[in-house]
Amino acid sequence: MDDKSIVEIRDLIKRYNGRLEPAVDNISLEIHKGEIFGLIGPNGAGKTTTLMILCGLLKPTSGNIRINGSDLSHDLNLIKKFIGVVSQEIALYEKLTAYENLYYFGRLFNINKKELNPVIDALLNRMGLFKYKNEMIGKFSGGMKRRINILAGLLHNPKLLILDEPSTGCDVQSRNVIREYLLELNATGTTMIYTSHLMDDVEKLCSRISIIDYGKIILTGTPAGLISLHPECTSLEDLFLISTGRYLRDK
Amino acid sequence: MKKLFVSIYKESLLLLRDIEGLILVFFMPLCLVVVMALLQHRTFQNLEETKIPVIIVDHDNNALGTAFRNGIRKFGMFEVTEITDTNPNTIIEARRNVAEGKFQIGIVIPENTTNAIKTRVLDLVRKQLPLSFESQNQTQAGEAVISLFFDPITKPSFRDLAQSKLNEFASWTETRIIFQTYSKIIDSFTGKSTDISYPDEPIITYSEDSVSEYTGGLTPNAVQHNVPAWTLFGMFLICIPIAGNIIKERNDGCMARLKTIPVSYLGIMSGKTFVFIVICMLQAALIILAGIFIMPLLGLPKLVINHNWGALFTITLSSAFAACGYGVAIGTIASSYTQAATFGSVSTVILAAIGGVWIPVMVMPEIMRHISEFSPMNWGIRGYYDVFLRNSGTIEILPAAFRLFIFYIICTLTSLYFRKYSSSK
Repeated sequence: MDDKSIVEIRDLIKRYNGRLEPAVDNISLEIHKGEIFGLIGPNGAGKTTTLMILCGLLKPTSGNIRINGSDLSHDLNLIKKFIGVVSQEIALYEKLTAYENLYYFGRLFNINKKELNPVIDALLNRMGLFKYKNEMIGKFSGGMKRRINILAGLLHNPKLLILDEPSTGCDVQSRNVIREYLLELNATGTTMIYTSHLMDDVEKLCSRISIIDYGKIILTGTPAGLISLHPECTSLEDLFLISTGRYLRDK
Repeated sequence: MKKLFVSIYKESLLLLRDIEGLILVFFMPLCLVVVMALLQHRTFQNLEETKIPVIIVDHDNNALGTAFRNGIRKFGMFEVTEITDTNPNTIIEARRNVAEGKFQIGIVIPENTTNAIKTRVLDLVRKQLPLSFESQNQTQAGEAVISLFFDPITKPSFRDLAQSKLNEFASWTETRIIFQTYSKIIDSFTGKSTDISYPDEPIITYSEDSVSEYTGGLTPNAVQHNVPAWTLFGMFLICIPIAGNIIKERNDGCMARLKTIPVSYLGIMSGKTFVFIVICMLQAALIILAGIFIMPLLGLPKLVINHNWGALFTITLSSAFAACGYGVAIGTIASSYTQAATFGSVSTVILAAIGGVWIPVMVMPEIMRHISEFSPMNWGIRGYYDVFLRNSGTIEILPAAFRLFIFYIICTLTSLYFRKYSSSK
């Protein structure tokens, strides 16, 4: 693992019980400090499985993962302090207010109350949600919930942020706010691993991407570089369809 | 510790904001206890307290008939209706009334029953003392057949009891006649009138007492049994909301988020367990208070708690631990709310049935008595019986409390193992 790498994945395989085909098939990747790395692929390609392994939610069948120099299989608790996770589900308590949700998750990161309250206020303010601080999440719109969902992964100021389709279901305005905020965070040195089906977002956000299909990495590079290698493509979406095919992936 | 406190804070907020759910958690077990206590009150009542409606058709209209009617009334367990009219249709009428359920028992004392008994007694005396009857004519010994008929729905135990009481009384009447006959003969020998009457009260009587250290002589009744039994049932039913809470947290993705935070599953579950234990304790307190203050208003006996607060607290706390541990295990293992609700409710009913919640373990068949040893509700009921009926202290109920706490630990370890196993699938 060289100095510029923050995540190093070697020969990662994940095979679910009762399935012959591996969900992740011998992936090796390096993610560099300070970059926004896009992991894109069709449904069931293995993106979420890879991210779940990186977060410690799933155990790999084989392979090694090092995050910030620590081995994931041995130093999971250390790594948990270092990473922030934004899941594709709205992982919030509907019957708690925005503040109570953030307070709960922040306190679990051992942030003391005095430090936590200004952080919560600042984050809510940045996402345009401060005036809804004491309203229950259940009353929020989809876009508002998405924004709070992102904030819940940022309370402990993680150096590596793992985002699994963070702006799914958001309107254009919310997506724009989220995108701008992620770029702002990245500018302060936060590394990100980002998955999305929204190719426009990926193109605008990611400095480097990998396209994954059937559990294997099929392309890695900068979005512009990869597009330029394929003269028939004018956008990342074209490249994606050429690389993964146009047929439906219902399974 | 900070993480435990914040988990407790979060769980408390979630629970307090579900007011309807909270009311149901307290109100439903309370309703259950009151309804079950009312239903089972009769079963637990001493049968002596229950009046059995009886119709007596007395065609004898003589010493035996009168004594029989008076005696039966004196037993107290019968609500007696008498027909002394000797018309034969009165027997048909009485049978019809019993068949229609107006009376549970019908008794017909036929004509000349007194004479039949007297004749038989005189025959016996004549054989024994022939000289005393030289001047009297020979008589023909008759038969005294008292007919009994029962309402078909009368419980066999009632029939047996009624029959045994009637036998007892018939024997006493017969003995009385024998005594009077011999008494007259002896008087005729001695030429004196002794005027001794046969005693109205039996010579041998029984004194009954429950073997309890409690000075008030407390015996189990519907309230003493149902309050602890259904309190435990209510506590164990809390496994459904706990499991539902865990499954909802998992389905919403909150549990996945918690797994990405450096906090242990045990810590998160301990927060839930703490809050639900408090709920269980409050639920138990409410039901016990209802046993003391509300049940007497409904005509039920008052719950006597003996004031062994330490023991009562210990057995309630350990039962709450066991119930909450069970809920956490179900919530961790079940993959859907339907699974958890079905398994949770059915398994609680099974544990209650074998644990002696519905019917006390002592009246179960032997094999069920052995099986009941494995139900945590049985350990809980035993603990409560110790406190309420045997006046046991904290030390005495520790074995039951210890078993319940071990059950909690086993459930928690199962949850932790399953949680670890599920992440490696």
